[in-house]
Amino acid sequence: MKTILKDWAIEIVILLTAIVLAIFNPSKVGSALLSATKTYLNLFIVIVAIALLSSFIVVTIPKQTIGKIIGKQSGIKGVLIGAVFGTLMIGPAYMFFPFFKELRDKGAGANIIATTIGTWAIKIAWIPFSITVLGWKFTLLFNGLIFVFAILSGMLVGAFYKE
Amino acid sequence: MNTNIVEGIILLVLVLVLYVVYFIRGDKGKLKDASKKSAKLFIQNSIRLFAIFVIIALLDKFLSPQAVSQFLLKFRGFTGIIIGALTGAVMMSPAATSYPIGQYLLAHNASYSLVAAFLFTWVGIGVVALPLEFKFLGKKFALIRNSFTFIAAILIALLVGALL
Repeated sequence: MKTILKDWAIEIVILLTAIVLAIFNPSKVGSALLSATKTYLNLFIVIVAIALLSSFIVVTIPKQTIGKIIGKQSGIKGVLIGAVFGTLMIGPAYMFFPFFKELRDKGAGANIIATTIGTWAIKIAWIPFSITVLGWKFTLLFNGLIFVFAILSGMLVGAFYKE
Repeated sequence: MNTNIVEGIILLVLVLVLYVVYFIRGDKGKLKDASKKSAKLFIQNSIRLFAIFVIIALLDKFLSPQAVSQFLLKFRGFTGIIIGALTGAVMMSPAATSYPIGQYLLAHNASYSLVAAFLFTWVGIGVVALPLEFKFLGKKFALIRNSFTFIAAILIALLVGALL
């Protein structure tokens, strides 16, 4: 019981917050719950895919292989793999935290995971929209800088975070 | 159709191809392990993510794009960059929602730097998702990573401002 409470502390706090808010403003909380459900349904397929992908990696790929490809010692090649992966992936980065945890447990470097989360801010699919709204100069410079700084701050995370 | 769904389907198909290619040679034991673990992860992740979606939706009801833009237009210079970065860190909606806000800010004479800081931390830092990052990746990792991301946001903002 105690471990369940500890394990789900965040979710319990959120639930209690929603209940308290609902007493004061039921219609706002009601519409928030509705839009949360919509978000969940929109991302349902991604959530299924993440669960399948995470367990595939855990079950089939040996620890040494992950370490070799994206371990701390994998060098610039591993960093670039992480950076490109983050650039291409979709949805909010936090949805993939459980996936990153499996990779970390399998020996992925902290610097590379940090770089991947960094380049996640680049949304390839939205670049055309960003260009029409914000202009091509801003969009290209902005996304280029995100890519470079994701790698730089990944290096710093690797240097400061002792495994 | 919603882009999330289209992208989700592409991702799911790629993952399923992985499964088929790997398990076609048959290793029924491992396939069973993977399915069991998938089901468990799916249920756990669903509950955790739904809780985050609820918080984001609540935030959305209280922080409308108009209110956020009006707030940000009050600040200029370096203070504007810092406030822009902090505000973006609190916002959690999909990236596409942030671009029209950026456009509005630019049209009302906000600096490129402020807009860059705001747009970057919007997707790069998620205060609401921080407990989730603590839980899965560790407190130390999360704090170090987010600190450097915040510094990166300021530097990106200054560079965008200098180069445009």
